Amino acid sequence: MGLDVEKIREDFPVLKKTVNNKPIIYMDSACMTLRPIQVIDKINEYYREYPSCGERSLHKFGKRVDEEVEKSRNIIKKFINAKRMEEIVFTKNTTEGINLLANSLGLKQGDIVLGTDKEHNSNLLPWQKLASMGVKYEVVMSGKDDNFSFENFKEKMNRGVKLVSMVHMSNLDGTTTPAKEIVKTAHENEALVLLDGAQSVPHHPLDVRKLDVDFLAFSGHKMMGPSGIGVLYGKKDLLEKLPAFMVGGGTVVDTTHYEAKFEELPQKFEAGLQNYAGIIGLGEAAKYLMKIGKENIEKHEIELNRRVTEGVEGFERLSLIGPREAEKRGGIISFNINGVSSHEIAMMMDEMENICVRSGAHCVHSWFNAHKLDGSVRASLYIYNTPEECDKFVETLKRVIDLMK
Amino acid sequence: MICLIALVVFAVLGIFSAKYRTVAKEAFDCVFRRITLRKCTTGLDKRLKSKITGKLMLKHPGFARNVYKHFEMISWVFTIVLIVSFSYSVYSVANLFIYGNCNGPIPDAFCLFDPFISEGTEGECTIEAAVGEITGVLEVHPDDPVIGPKDAKVTIIEAGCFVCPYTKQAVPVVKQIISHYGDKIRFVYKDFPVSSAHPGAQEAAEASHCAHEQGKYWEYHYMLFENQGKTGFEELVGFAENLDLDTEQFSECLASHKYKSKVDSDFREAFEIGVYGTPTFFINGQVVVGPKTFNEFRQIIDNELARGG
Repeated sequence: MGLDVEKIREDFPVLKKTVNNKPIIYMDSACMTLRPIQVIDKINEYYREYPSCGERSLHKFGKRVDEEVEKSRNIIKKFINAKRMEEIVFTKNTTEGINLLANSLGLKQGDIVLGTDKEHNSNLLPWQKLASMGVKYEVVMSGKDDNFSFENFKEKMNRGVKLVSMVHMSNLDGTTTPAKEIVKTAHENEALVLLDGAQSVPHHPLDVRKLDVDFLAFSGHKMMGPSGIGVLYGKKDLLEKLPAFMVGGGTVVDTTHYEAKFEELPQKFEAGLQNYAGIIGLGEAAKYLMKIGKENIEKHEIELNRRVTEGVEGFERLSLIGPREAEKRGGIISFNINGVSSHEIAMMMDEMENICVRSGAHCVHSWFNAHKLDGSVRASLYIYNTPEECDKFVETLKRVIDLMK
Repeated sequence: MICLIALVVFAVLGIFSAKYRTVAKEAFDCVFRRITLRKCTTGLDKRLKSKITGKLMLKHPGFARNVYKHFEMISWVFTIVLIVSFSYSVYSVANLFIYGNCNGPIPDAFCLFDPFISEGTEGECTIEAAVGEITGVLEVHPDDPVIGPKDAKVTIIEAGCFVCPYTKQAVPVVKQIISHYGDKIRFVYKDFPVSSAHPGAQEAAEASHCAHEQGKYWEYHYMLFENQGKTGFEELVGFAENLDLDTEQFSECLASHKYKSKVDSDFREAFEIGVYGTPTFFINGQVVVGPKTFNEFRQIIDNELARGG
């Protein structure tokens, strides 16, 4: 069953906004999604009705915060089909989740971390930083058509690899790595697997138990949740072994002047006063997405992507980044117009028809540098985008290209 | 090049609103990099180009295409125009300080700065007993010093004081008016010595008439302003000597207060109609108090000439 996009759009107040008497066409969801009214109301509810501390205060407000936070943790558990609530650690965002692991895993000299050639800086820099401790970072290059190359992966895989830290769905071109096979191979080689799920979790059906993945990090702002909130999933037995990276209020049961007794999972990783409004809003966002159904979301995005891909086919000087087939790129269309700066195209589309797309290196500078490109224009679609918007995008892009002849 | 224009525009806008200051900073960074032969890295030039052509695209796609294609050249043209107009403004301001108007020594064009300068040309030397309201017009008498034909369409009468700094301030403009309009106007000077504020004003006025009887009124008149404040007997005689006047006759004239009654009568006549300070001008009866710019006078005179006097 297809999505009732018009009904969905009613949930997004910002889509009612017009600029210069034209509606906003938002196609930058890979950077940040819009938020439905349900999430906005839930955040407001916290600030209006029980704006208080959690985990510490025993008054009514404090108890309500604890209830809502745990409710949210439970929703997230279901959202990714984790086994236990303790496996859900709230972080600031994907970046913080990855940094937490990089600083807690205890990787040592000679250990190898494997990544792909399309890693976001957030899943690259934390590992590069460990190079000073002798940890090696190696890259699995993409194969033909810019798809993940399992052959290249197997070649790199050996007993020295302690962690495979890979992007699940690339924010650059929308390609998805075969997580299940990667996890299987990694485990056979006694390596752990961390998936950067910033793009896959909001757009793609994802079951951590089926994947058997060890760790998964994702952000709220890319899945209709509030900014400043994210999640690190980890298998309970693994998380229990890890030392806390950031410590402080909320992470301990008791302290003396010289010692501390740490909390159990997940609190030992949630240092300091938490972003309660963010956590509660994130739960609501996950609930909203579950109601719509991830399969429906993925199907809708691919249909739209196909429409755009067919629309731009044959456009002079246009080169797509990633595979030609729309179904391999989820909701992402990344492209370049030969000889024209991606920023110029993006700004012109915004100026002309309020089309919001991203331009530049999308925090994947390493890939662009390796391909000697400055960046690309990236349109990223989501459940609130319509076929008509896609047609408008194609038509406007055509006008921009004609202008630049 | 667009960054240089952006720098000027946003720096000015930045005075009024903080939101433009960031853009002005970016533009400055861009300009500085270009000057030091480095590439502009802020992307401001691209942003401006896209914004401008994007807007044009909605209304005139063909024009937008041309603007996009020749953007750098257009930016250069605007930059050159900007530099030229800026240089011209500096030149005009310099003229304003040197000549009192922005058009240089031959001021027959419109000067944008004049309205601002008016503030600096306010002021007059007033007498204490003045009523402060002028209710009549001065008349021209046969013994008044005059420049210009009797049948000129416009008569300008100035009631001035040789020791008043504001009367002195008006001198270059008066000279300019006389030289610009020639025979089209008649200029008459009447004495209104503000002796209470400026001792020696009466003596200077009388001395000017002593020079008048020897046919060198205007030379003496300007000499008094050039040497404003020097009103001692010897000094007044010295000026006459400098102008090759008969100093004996002049000294006698001055010592005997030969023209005291003339000066007094000028003063009384002006005082009775309400003149309270100098310089006060009557342009075909229209009253102008204080030193004004040439263009301010010109507006009135041209109107009068157009009306046929």
